[in-house]
Amino acid sequence: MSTATMTHADAHGHHDHHEATGWKKYIWSLDHKIIGLQYLFSSLAFLFIGGALALLLRWQLAFPSTQVMPDGNVGNPLSLPFINPQFYNALFTMHATVMVFLVVMPVLIGAFGNYLIPLKIGAGDMAFPLINELSYWVWLASGFIMLAGFFVAGGAAAAGWTGYAPLSSVGAYNGARIGQSLWATGLFINGLASIMGAFNYITTIVNMRAPGMGFFRLPLAVWALFITAFLLLLAVPVLSAAGAMLVLDLNFGTNFFNPAKGGQPLLWQHLFWFFGHPEVYIMILPAMGMVSDILSVNSRKPVFGYRAMVYAMIAIGFLGFIVWGHHMFVSGMNLVLSAAFGVSTMVIAVPSAIKTFNWLGTIWGGSIRFNTAMLNALAFVAMFVIGGFSGIFMASTPVNIFVHHTYFIVAHFHYVLFGGSIFAVFAAIYFWYPKMFGRMMNETLGKIHFALTFIFFNLCFFPMHNVGLGGMMRRIADPTVYEHLRALQPINQFITLSAIGLGFSQIVFLVNFFRSLRHGVPAGRNPWEATTLEWTVDSPPGHGNFATTPTVYRGAYDYSVPGHGKDYIMQNEPTEPDHPAGSPSRLRPAPVG
Amino acid sequence: MSKFCRFFRRGVLGAMLAWASTGWAEMRETGVWWLPRNVSHFGHEIDFMIYVILWLTGITGALVFGAMIYFIVKYRHRAGVGAIHSHGNNTLEVVWTTIPVFIFLALAIYGNEMWGRMRMEKAPADALQVAVVGEQFGWNVRYPGPDGKLGKMDSRKIGKDNPFGIDANDPDGKDDFTTYNDLVFPVNRPVQLHLGSKDVIHAFYVPEFRLYQDMVPGRVYDFVWFKADSVGSFQLACNQLCGQGHYKMFGKLAVVPDSDYLAWVKGKAPLTAASPNSSAETTAVANR
Repeated sequence: MSTATMTHADAHGHHDHHEATGWKKYIWSLDHKIIGLQYLFSSLAFLFIGGALALLLRWQLAFPSTQVMPDGNVGNPLSLPFINPQFYNALFTMHATVMVFLVVMPVLIGAFGNYLIPLKIGAGDMAFPLINELSYWVWLASGFIMLAGFFVAGGAAAAGWTGYAPLSSVGAYNGARIGQSLWATGLFINGLASIMGAFNYITTIVNMRAPGMGFFRLPLAVWALFITAFLLLLAVPVLSAAGAMLVLDLNFGTNFFNPAKGGQPLLWQHLFWFFGHPEVYIMILPAMGMVSDILSVNSRKPVFGYRAMVYAMIAIGFLGFIVWGHHMFVSGMNLVLSAAFGVSTMVIAVPSAIKTFNWLGTIWGGSIRFNTAMLNALAFVAMFVIGGFSGIFMASTPVNIFVHHTYFIVAHFHYVLFGGSIFAVFAAIYFWYPKMFGRMMNETLGKIHFALTFIFFNLCFFPMHNVGLGGMMRRIADPTVYEHLRALQPINQFITLSAIGLGFSQIVFLVNFFRSLRHGVPAGRNPWEATTLEWTVDSPPGHGNFATTPTVYRGAYDYSVPGHGKDYIMQNEPTEPDHPAGSPSRLRPAPVG
Repeated sequence: MSKFCRFFRRGVLGAMLAWASTGWAEMRETGVWWLPRNVSHFGHEIDFMIYVILWLTGITGALVFGAMIYFIVKYRHRAGVGAIHSHGNNTLEVVWTTIPVFIFLALAIYGNEMWGRMRMEKAPADALQVAVVGEQFGWNVRYPGPDGKLGKMDSRKIGKDNPFGIDANDPDGKDDFTTYNDLVFPVNRPVQLHLGSKDVIHAFYVPEFRLYQDMVPGRVYDFVWFKADSVGSFQLACNQLCGQGHYKMFGKLAVVPDSDYLAWVKGKAPLTAASPNSSAETTAVANR
């Protein structure tokens, strides 16, 4: 901890920069808070683009433009004629690409990572502010490059977000060579942005913690982002490399992935999933961390089993790198290898179970405040549990081969990514909005938004389990061509209606978000009565965050400590000598520095 | 199933049916909310496994959600009632780490054992040999002739005009016959598949067989076999995105009594020496 103090003082010299003013403040600012907000606004914009793509593809599934009607006419009367099968393939490919690379990753890691890390560890800014801003613009460029596919000959990439070769790597097979190349280029550039962000986060957390802020006094949100940064740093370069190889295959005559010319399609799958499975945890760990904090604050209780939570996340980080093969059971894999991947896949469920039990432990015995942030955090836990359960079906190899490419898995990852990550994002927005903008969001609108989202989410995604078990394949442009799926069509239409409801419920959120910027109740420094360092400064915090570097005297979760007047103690509140022993003393060693 | 659930489902379904712009004449043999019919011998084991996991997650889910709802109600904020101060409990951590470890390991071992059997168990010697090769966007199917032997497939020879990668001089292949998007299997007789692909990855998927196998181009998959234990007509679907026409890449698949199968075979003309295969050899080589 003394090294942290020294390096912190040391770091001060070179990361200081002046506050940008005027328009420049919002376009090219080196302030981590502005960069965080840039990420927040851009990724929310992409969220609506990705959502619109989802609604279009849902519409096609309910009312296919290719459906042969009983009277012999082609095209459901309600269908949108411009959705042909190729465009449908582009829709789901780009929906997933946008949601993964332009929404969930940047909003969790770019927006909240940037905004919260320096504030929570008591630093003035990130270690490398210039690289930080650069990473934002590079990321944004990658988004425009990928979406540009919609406006080129052949249309956008249409080989699925997993881009399996050789469909993705041979223009004659996918019919969208330019769009596919833009997609692969976008992935490559997107990866560069992630790498820049990741080493910045790691350097910042290792070197710039305030005096007294030992690793085991870090809030779990910071721990989660710290571990996520390592995952990014190790996994994303592999994807970037694969993206570059794909561009070469598509345009420059190489044949890494084309078996007709001596290439190996499974190479793509290994590279993609070596990135792809850690990616799953990259998209959920920061959400887990933030939800842990929100549950604790609003239960007025310390996080249950803080260290177990940290170790569980570290375990997920390690195991996340040795489970990628479970995506490839169906490709025909050596039995020893599939057994190893099967076991590691089951074992990685254990830390997730530990975390769930600890979240329950956190609300147990609490004094729970049901504000909108808390409701979304609780929904996160519930939906994550359901997503975890359906994951167990997938981890069982024999069951996996039956359900792997059906709507069951679509239900599964939407429960984890929307039910999990997006509910956590909503929780985080409602929770940190007062810090970001100095005003509270409207609680009534917030609760209406939560209720509508929660209900429509479940109506939309739960029946997908059923149609999946019923044998409905994913990625088919028209289920009505299959005899065994025709009877499921009413359910598909029901899902589509629910998806539309889910999409339009978000208008309530937008209204609340933008209305509250001007009309929200002023928040003050610490509206939630939380303990961590970001709540010790003004809302929004000024340039440089802290007038003087705070000193940390205790862990991040001193709620309801017996013998105190109020039910929370700020992390920078000095320990009183006659402080009653409320918790194990090892959790609160004497301050250093 | 509670009364309410049934009522709800019927209500929703009824409303949807009424609202849907067309009537759906075809009804499934099984309900629309659950697994389709199961006609394959391994399929029953897979279904059993699904039910094991369903019970396990169902019971765990009831406990977790029960606890969650109980805590949410019991520990809601009330004036004058503070929260307990607790940082956790190491005994509990050990308990709820150990129990899932054993459950998940048991599931993994059970699943791997079943998977191993499904993959390692050799098809019986009398199994009908059928080759199926996917292409954008249809299924090439090859049946053995009277000798009961398929020509040997060589993944390196699979090409534009030689979908099965068969050596033109292979005597076993001379009497084979082929179909396109049309499969007929005799009931209660094991069928061994030889799967391949001409272009991109396709997948052999028949939900009623609980059977899914990727067909990565450049290899031939010989380990898939099954035995259909009742007759019916099904569809073979491609279940790995393979391009624009992926959604309609399906074939007819019928499981019929032995006599019907023999009658069907009789109607098929064997390939002759002048079949496309012989001329295809050179093309395939040139393609490489």
